[in-house]
Amino acid sequence: MSDAPDFRDLVGGDLPPEEAERLRRVHELLVAAGPPPELSPQLQEPVEPEKPRDNVSFLPRRRTGLLLGIAAAIALTAFLGGFISGERHGSPFNEVAQLPMHGTTAASKASALLYVGKRDSAGNWPLKVDVKNLAPLPKGEYYEMFISRGANARAASCGTFRAAGNTDGLRLNAPFSLKGVTGWVVTVERPGSGKHPVVLTT
Amino acid sequence: MPAVAADECTDGELITRSAEGDRDAFEVLYRRYSRPVFGLALRRLGDRGRAEDAVQETFASIWRAARSYKPERGPGAPWLYAVARNAITDRGRARAEPPAEVPDRASSEPGPPERAESSWTAWRVHRALEGLSSNERTVIELAYWSGLSQSEIAEFLNIPLGTVKTRTRAALHRLSGLLEEELA
Repeated sequence: MSDAPDFRDLVGGDLPPEEAERLRRVHELLVAAGPPPELSPQLQEPVEPEKPRDNVSFLPRRRTGLLLGIAAAIALTAFLGGFISGERHGSPFNEVAQLPMHGTTAASKASALLYVGKRDSAGNWPLKVDVKNLAPLPKGEYYEMFISRGANARAASCGTFRAAGNTDGLRLNAPFSLKGVTGWVVTVERPGSGKHPVVLTT
Repeated sequence: MPAVAADECTDGELITRSAEGDRDAFEVLYRRYSRPVFGLALRRLGDRGRAEDAVQETFASIWRAARSYKPERGPGAPWLYAVARNAITDRGRARAEPPAEVPDRASSEPGPPERAESSWTAWRVHRALEGLSSNERTVIELAYWSGLSQSEIAEFLNIPLGTVKTRTRAALHRLSGLLEEELA
């Protein structure tokens, strides 16, 4: 079984034969090549060419990890700063998709509307969520949004929140490829419980 | 100020300008080739961490060795491929391999010539994808590697189905131009 899309479904049947044959060859090359990988965050920008590490090789991985940890902390601070500032100044949100979410039996009256923003140059898909009728949570618990891939409902986290009732404009983020995403869920996370009840799903 | 914007240069021109210390040209080269290099390194090394190192090593080598590129000997893509392949091979040698068991039977895996051919094809295709507009690239990536149908892509992107079809066809047409050599 092949996962390749059907060529005629992609281009239709009204092309001149020569053009159709040419596009079919491109189609075959795309299928043969497979997907290009997503770049890691540290590869988003080119290496500083004047300062190649020890003449091309880089820091030992342990130090790289430490530096990445520090960079992640700085990025988180910047993100939170940007988030607060963005909320205050009404940062633009270029919506590319809108997905309704409905409550599961664990929260049958709850619902939400998920807005997926335009992917930025660093590969982030900004998200905005309007929730309705979400129950307030006990201290220490929180809601978490995940993308789902097939049977893996909690494939990757898009962030956490503690809003309850009717709250509009929660800002989250999917900092990874959305290839293969089959849906979105919101779970209740109780530290130490090992259970992740789904309360909202697309 | 350069007469031609770096974005509009051929790969060969960008390498030549990088050799003269032009950072803008080097950055454009990086944008065009970082994903193809990363893809090649991932396939060869099978490890994201070492593939990332290989990407950085490749571009450091390109910056240092750009003067060795001779435009009269051919276009830039094969030269870049050779530099990347060498950097990735060096990174592969750096790993302490355990002694391999001798297999009882011949492997059904593709041999070196087939692997080289498919690596080169993927390299050219991934490079060509970087030449599409982001709208076109998105529909191609969703159509080929997300498992979404055209209708699902339209729904996902919240655009009419006809627009998805138009963009897909335009993207394939543009790719046919960018992959002229492979289609000849």
